[in-house]
Amino acid sequence: MPTNKTPNRTGLLQGTLDMLILRTLLFGPAHGHQIAKHIQRTTDEVLQVEHGSLYPALHRMERKGWIVAKWEMAKDRNREFKYYRLTPGGKKQLVRERSRWKQLAAAVATMLRPVRGD
Amino acid sequence: MSVWNWLRSRIARVAIWRRRDRDAEVERELEAHLELESEEQRDSGVPPEEARPAARRAFGNTTRVQEDVREIWSAIWLERFAHDVRYAARSLRKSPGFAAVAILTLALGIGANTAIFSAIDALMLRPLPFTAADQLVRIYSIQKGMFNTFANPDGPSALDVRDFAQRSRSFQNMVAYDTWAKNVSFGESAGRPEQMEVGLVPAAYFEILGIRPIIGRLFSEDENEEGKNYVAAISAQLWRNRFDDDPSVLGRKIRINGEAYSIVAVMPNVIPAWVEPGRHSEIWTPFPYSPDMWAESGRGERGYAALARLKPGVSVEQAQADLSVIAAALAAEHPVDDGVGVAVKRLADSRVGALRPMLYLLMGAVSLILLIACVNLANLLLARNLARQRELAVRAALGAGRSGLVRQLLAETLLLSLIGGAVGFGCAQIGLTALARMHPENLPQLRSVGIDWRVLTFTLLVSLVTSLLFGLAPAFMGTRLNLVDALKQGGRSGMSGRSSQRVRSLLVITEMAMCLMLVVGASLLIRSIIRLEGQNLGIRQDHLLRGRIYLPPVRYSNPGVRTRFCDDFGTRVRAVPGVTGATVTTVYPPNNGWTQMLVIPGHPVTRLQDVPSAQFGVVDQHFLRTLGIPLLRGRDFAEPDNATSPPVALISKEFKRRYFATEDPIGRKIHIGPPQLPGIAVEENITDDVDVTIIGIIDDFKNAGLAHAPQPQITVLYSQHPLVNGGFKDILVRTASEPHAVESEIRSQLRALDSDVPLAEVQTIDELVERSTGGRRFTTVLLASFAVAGLALAVVGIYGVVSSLVAQRKQEMAVRMALGASHGNVLWLVLKHGLKMAVIGAAIGLCGAGAAQKFTAGLLYGISPLDPLTFAGAPVFLLAVAAIACAIPGARVLQIDPAQALRQD
Repeated sequence: MPTNKTPNRTGLLQGTLDMLILRTLLFGPAHGHQIAKHIQRTTDEVLQVEHGSLYPALHRMERKGWIVAKWEMAKDRNREFKYYRLTPGGKKQLVRERSRWKQLAAAVATMLRPVRGD
Repeated sequence: MSVWNWLRSRIARVAIWRRRDRDAEVERELEAHLELESEEQRDSGVPPEEARPAARRAFGNTTRVQEDVREIWSAIWLERFAHDVRYAARSLRKSPGFAAVAILTLALGIGANTAIFSAIDALMLRPLPFTAADQLVRIYSIQKGMFNTFANPDGPSALDVRDFAQRSRSFQNMVAYDTWAKNVSFGESAGRPEQMEVGLVPAAYFEILGIRPIIGRLFSEDENEEGKNYVAAISAQLWRNRFDDDPSVLGRKIRINGEAYSIVAVMPNVIPAWVEPGRHSEIWTPFPYSPDMWAESGRGERGYAALARLKPGVSVEQAQADLSVIAAALAAEHPVDDGVGVAVKRLADSRVGALRPMLYLLMGAVSLILLIACVNLANLLLARNLARQRELAVRAALGAGRSGLVRQLLAETLLLSLIGGAVGFGCAQIGLTALARMHPENLPQLRSVGIDWRVLTFTLLVSLVTSLLFGLAPAFMGTRLNLVDALKQGGRSGMSGRSSQRVRSLLVITEMAMCLMLVVGASLLIRSIIRLEGQNLGIRQDHLLRGRIYLPPVRYSNPGVRTRFCDDFGTRVRAVPGVTGATVTTVYPPNNGWTQMLVIPGHPVTRLQDVPSAQFGVVDQHFLRTLGIPLLRGRDFAEPDNATSPPVALISKEFKRRYFATEDPIGRKIHIGPPQLPGIAVEENITDDVDVTIIGIIDDFKNAGLAHAPQPQITVLYSQHPLVNGGFKDILVRTASEPHAVESEIRSQLRALDSDVPLAEVQTIDELVERSTGGRRFTTVLLASFAVAGLALAVVGIYGVVSSLVAQRKQEMAVRMALGASHGNVLWLVLKHGLKMAVIGAAIGLCGAGAAQKFTAGLLYGISPLDPLTFAGAPVFLLAVAAIACAIPGARVLQIDPAQALRQD
């Protein structure tokens, strides 16, 4: 049974969105809207999070056990939101993703280093 | 199929239900998001009525998002599992040969385990059919230095039970009871009687067990008094067989030992045979307490069965401690109780009795069988998964993850196990029914063996564990794929060769080791049973028939009358055509069971433990001649030895060795009965105040059971010893041809003497011996068949591995042969591999068999559990079988044409 059939319309490298979400949740529980806003703000609006990929990503990560979700009353308004929070497994995953990302970034950087004699 | 459909619809329903739930939740989540979004739009100046559509636009396609989320959650495990199982069923249907072999192997392994477990369940686990059965205990007497030990305890005396009941605080109720063989006839008048077991029980017996009569009443307290005891309770079984469930049975009479008893109750059929000390009782009468039963002289008369019910909350250990203190006090008060202790055991634990070590041994054996079966299947699966590598690789290439593939392969093994378990369960059921029919009298406990929910659970668990045992390793190994290699057309799978071959060899070694343990165990048992049954009893064993009679005291109260009856009976039987000899006796091999204390001149004693004792028997003058026991010295009993002549005795060789080591016993006098010691009243035992003169020494014969050396034996004439000339006598008849042929003539001679005395338990001595080894024989037959099954499985295992080795290394062999290796060299290469596995396996197996000796030790006779011949012979046998199993695929090597084989690649 194929498990990763979710369409990848993030415009980001695969796995990047996951890493950003995990990173966001490191600061505490948040609901979907907050996560999207937080990613946009912290990347200086460079990364636009498409909602069409945010929610499937959240559910995929919930299923994998990296995050858990719970309906809770928001502090500032009289409405329930589905808050996501990080699990220990999610924290481990973040570490893994981060080191993979570093490797990738280093590899890309090496590739793009100006060739001698250029 | 309807079950399958039902299951599928359930799975689908659960899946749909969960999906709807999930959809609603996603919708709610997105709705919350949209609301926040539109608030933001409003805040940034968009008019309220346009804010919502703007938010929607900004968000994108919500339906699409919902679909994506649904996709993520849709493959819930149940759906996936059903899918896996369906796929597994399809793939098994495609290889029916493999499936059949696997299912049969599993059925054998699981079936054998189920059968033995159901015996363990019936004998050790199933609750007793009594209310609050964990409060029920048996009470035993333990006597230091005597035959009875904790392993083989004796019953207490009636006085013990009375004192225990009065002084202890742990019991609600306690009762002593007994079972006797008596002559019973139904109907008012004397009719054809038969010998039946009659339980002698006070009402408390039924009260303790918690059994109420179906109709009628329990015995009253004064019916336990002698003279008022002519009432009887019958079982519902007997009520049906003899009285057609007639409710007017109450008040009807049955005759027991010639006396009329009126029926006062019908009891339900709930008391299992093993609760009663003799065999199964269908009739119970009160326990008539004769006044002298409570006399102090009866204190030493042990051997009654005792049953008690603990007070709620009192543990067996507490009760044991309570009674131990009392027993110690009794031992201090009464010299006869010196060294006598007490044991309290759960009634439920007395059920399995001597069968316990047998069951453990068999359970061990069937576990080995199952393991061997698992190993074989693991091997089979490894080969199958290797053959399927391309299929698996294609699926992996199409995106199946490794976990998915492993799950898929495990689903296959699970399916196999469950089907195998179901088939095995059926086989066990059939096998048990057959066993129960084969083996009714010797092992009454086995009659209750059957299938219940515990057995079902066991089978299911075993099937699950089995599937993991044989499925896990092959699944992981089979999915360790090198995609490029595996997909390359015709590529020789590099990995498959080495590491999987190593695993398969390891599996075969394990299998050989377990098989050797089975072979060793079975041959040890077979050899001991051959020794046991082939034992010299010390008599001429063939053509010897035994029958039992009982002369009830009502009509045979006078010893002289009993003597005349027995003499007449013997004379009449000797006159029957085809009979060459007959003797009326109480002693004959293999078991006597009547131990008598003696006073022997030159053996002064001060303590009870030191009193000389011997196996004792009363016989007529034809004893030696009929049994064929050699007379070593002196003379045999003769006609002139009668009631008026001086009493004489024959002693055995062992008796002389023990008590007349240096002197000549002939002509010496000994006293039959205990010495005058403080605490032992002379009239207490069945004794005899007449001294006997030893007239001869006879050869030893088996008198303490087949498995024990002959004990000292002394034999006297019943005509000369009225006090020990009791009502129970046996007749032994030597015949010229088939012994049972004269049975009816003997019966009619007995009837001519007294139509109210039945001839019971007619058997040849051969049959008697066979019956006494029944339990062992049963174990041996089972264990031997398990060993054969294990051997067959192991042979298949080693054959499979060597064949695949040959197939895989065909090219290598061809190269070797092309380079000049002879056929013999190449064949040896194959054999060497197989034999190496067998040798290592056998070595490990020997260690295992050595370690398992404590399971067999208790069941062996005349052979050490580490018997060198067996421990040397079994591996040789196993190696020979393994060599043959390897030689068959090895022979295929010889057919290799090097030129052709090399061209193939």
